[in-house]
Amino acid sequence: MKLPAALRLSPEWAPYVFLSPFVVLFGVFGLFPLMFSLYLAFQSWEPTSGLGAMAFVGLDNYAFALQDEWFWKSLGNTAWLALASGVPQHLVAIPLAYFIHTSFKRLRNGVVGAYFMPYITSTVAISILFSSLLSTDFGLINVGIKAMSELPGIGWLFPKHPVDWLNEPSNIKPAISMIVFWRYVGFNVVLYLAALQTIPKDIYEAATMDGAGRLQQFWYITLPSLKPMIFFGVTLSVIGGLQLFEEPFILTGGRGGSDQAGMTTAIYLYRMAFDFNDFGAASAMSWLLFILVALLTWLTNKAFAPRGPSA
Amino acid sequence: MRDGTQSMRSRRAWTGLCLLALLLPTAQAQETLTIAAFPAVDEIVRAAIPVWKRSHPTVDVKVVSRQFSDHHTAMTTALSTSFYLPDVMALEVGYVGRFAQGGGLEDLSRAPYNIKQFQSRYVPYAFAQATSRKGAVVAAPTDIGPGTLLYRADVLAKAGVSEEELTRSWDSYVAAGVKIKANTGAYLMSHARDMKEIVIRTGIQPGQGLYFDNQSNVLVTSPRFVRAFELARKVRQQKLDARVGAWSTEWSEGFKRGTIATQMTGAWLAGHLNTWLAPSTKGLWRAAQLPEGAFAAYGGTFFAIARGSPTEHKALAWEFIQLMTLNREVQLAAFKAQDAFPALLETYDDPFFEQPIDFLGGQKARLGWRAATTHIAAVDVHKQDAFADEVINTELDKVLDRGKDIATALADAQRLLRQRAYR
Amino acid sequence: MKFQTDRLAPWAAYGVVAVGTLVMLLPFYFMFVFATHSRTEIFSLPPPMFFGDDFFNNLKILTERMPFWRNLGWSLYVAIASTVLTLMFCAMGGYAFALFEFRFKNALFGLVMGTMLLPSFMNMIPTFMIMDVLGWIDQPRALYIPGAASAFGIFLMRQFVGSSIPKDLIEAARMDGCSEFGIFWRIVLPLLKPALGTLGLITFIASWNNFIGPLVVMRSPEMYTLPLALRSLQSPVNTEWGALMTGSAIATLPLVVLFVLSSRQLISGLTAGAVK
Repeated sequence: MKLPAALRLSPEWAPYVFLSPFVVLFGVFGLFPLMFSLYLAFQSWEPTSGLGAMAFVGLDNYAFALQDEWFWKSLGNTAWLALASGVPQHLVAIPLAYFIHTSFKRLRNGVVGAYFMPYITSTVAISILFSSLLSTDFGLINVGIKAMSELPGIGWLFPKHPVDWLNEPSNIKPAISMIVFWRYVGFNVVLYLAALQTIPKDIYEAATMDGAGRLQQFWYITLPSLKPMIFFGVTLSVIGGLQLFEEPFILTGGRGGSDQAGMTTAIYLYRMAFDFNDFGAASAMSWLLFILVALLTWLTNKAFAPRGPSA
Repeated sequence: MRDGTQSMRSRRAWTGLCLLALLLPTAQAQETLTIAAFPAVDEIVRAAIPVWKRSHPTVDVKVVSRQFSDHHTAMTTALSTSFYLPDVMALEVGYVGRFAQGGGLEDLSRAPYNIKQFQSRYVPYAFAQATSRKGAVVAAPTDIGPGTLLYRADVLAKAGVSEEELTRSWDSYVAAGVKIKANTGAYLMSHARDMKEIVIRTGIQPGQGLYFDNQSNVLVTSPRFVRAFELARKVRQQKLDARVGAWSTEWSEGFKRGTIATQMTGAWLAGHLNTWLAPSTKGLWRAAQLPEGAFAAYGGTFFAIARGSPTEHKALAWEFIQLMTLNREVQLAAFKAQDAFPALLETYDDPFFEQPIDFLGGQKARLGWRAATTHIAAVDVHKQDAFADEVINTELDKVLDRGKDIATALADAQRLLRQRAYR
Repeated sequence: MKFQTDRLAPWAAYGVVAVGTLVMLLPFYFMFVFATHSRTEIFSLPPPMFFGDDFFNNLKILTERMPFWRNLGWSLYVAIASTVLTLMFCAMGGYAFALFEFRFKNALFGLVMGTMLLPSFMNMIPTFMIMDVLGWIDQPRALYIPGAASAFGIFLMRQFVGSSIPKDLIEAARMDGCSEFGIFWRIVLPLLKPALGTLGLITFIASWNNFIGPLVVMRSPEMYTLPLALRSLQSPVNTEWGALMTGSAIATLPLVVLFVLSSRQLISGLTAGAVK
């Protein structure tokens, strides 16, 4: 069915037409909230008084945020959690992907699938599940630890008393990190596995003939070739880690835990807005967080981004 | 409204029908009131619908119920934009204070509501809780939570402690706890925090709120806080608390197994214990007044109308609220079914109060609770109360768990709160 | 020395991977086991290790407390609609970004990518405002239409189009007299199949698990999607753990099935876009 020439889309206009549905939606649902939140960061607003109650306060919200002990505390928590859950993910995923790549042929899809499972499950379901698994007196994890502590030989490694995961401030962070690690390590295994599959086998064969051991091959061939994928994966982990919200939210019942040990900046923002009803400060903080994320993403770019054609 | 596009023809058909509907004289318009609530208030509202229908047969009632905190978040969101407000919203006491300062709720003391004509019919402190600093009454109380001390009579008997010893003074309460621990191994309370919660509510002067006074000065270094912290620390040092959080599984197990001897709480906990927390301990519990003549409120529900709610329904919404809060039948039904202690004074002569409660070993506990309501004082609310709550709890945890010095802890809290007092 | 580690290494590898797999899957096993036990059994010592007989009882509680099957239905509807719409919009957008030059191209793309960096719930109130103005509160379309402008989706599409569709092919088709839409529909789309499959899967999963979106725009329990509905069972006062586990298990199943059927697709598509 050919339209008359006058109505046909010219190559010049084509990109605009193809892009327009996306741009329209983005403008309404992506840009407007962004602008609103930026505007709000300069206002003082207690939400239940309605929209008319906004009052311009300039940089006051930002000043407040930067002096707020809890804001810095939440940043510290977020950084700790992002590192504690993010770094092991990659440190484990790379060798793991390498093992799977070299040692599993038929079972590969099954194994990878198993590791990927936590990623596809809903955070609500996972957090509910772990709330019960981490229960101090009845949770399976503590039951498991107790059983392990009674084994001869390695028993001394495990604490004898039940660990209070969810109430003891010093335990909340490890608990959350464990869960986030469990959730995302498979995702990274998948990324690295695929990248490994693109490294040509001949390089390894040539290296073996030259007498290089497996460890040397891993260090000098595998790792550098993985650089682009490491960049992609780490960027995602940085962004995700800094915005961590759902897992700690459900585990600590929306509050961030005792001594705010599990309160990430995202949770603190949520609480500022909906528990303490200070939307202006919450917006200002979210923009400060945004600046931080942008900065760290840029740094990751500098550290890992592929420069020029890869070898 | 169906999702998806409609063809020209069906659109025309709909327009035609609508016009027809408008033209036909309607005998009686069917209206619907939307009530937003949370468990178990939703059940109470639903139970009242047949009573409502007697006087308002053409007005349907739709109950939108959400989980407790999601409900209040949704109300905050709705109030912030004045969009999608229900006709009537149920609010828990903690949120009434917050929303009252905001000005998003209708002032029921004004015309056409004139709630002050009913003021004498409500429990005084509950009515005061719904009154903002400027004198606006933003909600009507429907149920209250008179504070009580629930204790295991069998554990006390085994330890040789009398109820009088338990409640004479805070110091005797703690001493009783030592005896109980020594003779039965049970904990006095579930968490030392409970001690702090009550003691900071004693001795509040007029013009003072819990954490802030009317001029937003921070009060956390005052004697009642110091005493509260000291008592809590004593409880912890003597290992008298089970260190379990309220509503956690360990907490409910503590009740089931009799390892927690007392709990300071709202009267409604007795109902929960009976229904699902620890039904097997029926007959072993008793209720007493809080130690040292302290009186406090734990919870309480209110109904409010938002300023931005549909105006054409406001009159009906007010009538519904009157039904829920001023109708004896409805209030008593809620009491009997859901343990919602009435905020309506005239229900207090009902024989239900004199009935022995099986769970409490036949004790006529409602009489004691009823008596307590006259002694409870309303506490002024401040915008930053929720934040202050958390700061104090955090400092208390540091005192209890890490041995932080009390004066330093309170000074730190003071500093943190001063930063925010004027926001 | 080398000989010994070469023999040991594969076995160590198998061991580590096996333990890891177990750790990954064990929580799921327990989710399904707990789904068949009552609340008191779940929180008893020792906790149940094998399947019990309370499944139907839990299901009964579940369906009594909330319109569970209806919520499941909505989750399905929204996920499918979301997938279809997102694929359409992002494919078209990605095509435009990858193979055309136009003004503001880089600035626009940068802006879109930038939005990925903001925490999503800060949008709660403005999104709520827009939804109300549009009259979309409590409507499923509020869930699947905004998501169609997915930054991740357009990023993936752009990568894939850019790397697998040569410009000459488009030029040739143009010279043959093919219309712009024709080129897109008949040439580009079929070549995009792997990427479409991948993005489709990711979008489906994200939509199915979305919790914050429905929290903001859904008012009535009959309109909830699954994660939100499950949360309504979580009361500080009286959590029905057995029913909650059952609900979570059922909520997980469709995704598991979907994943098992298409894992190869998903994995290869994800990485094809990222490696380039």
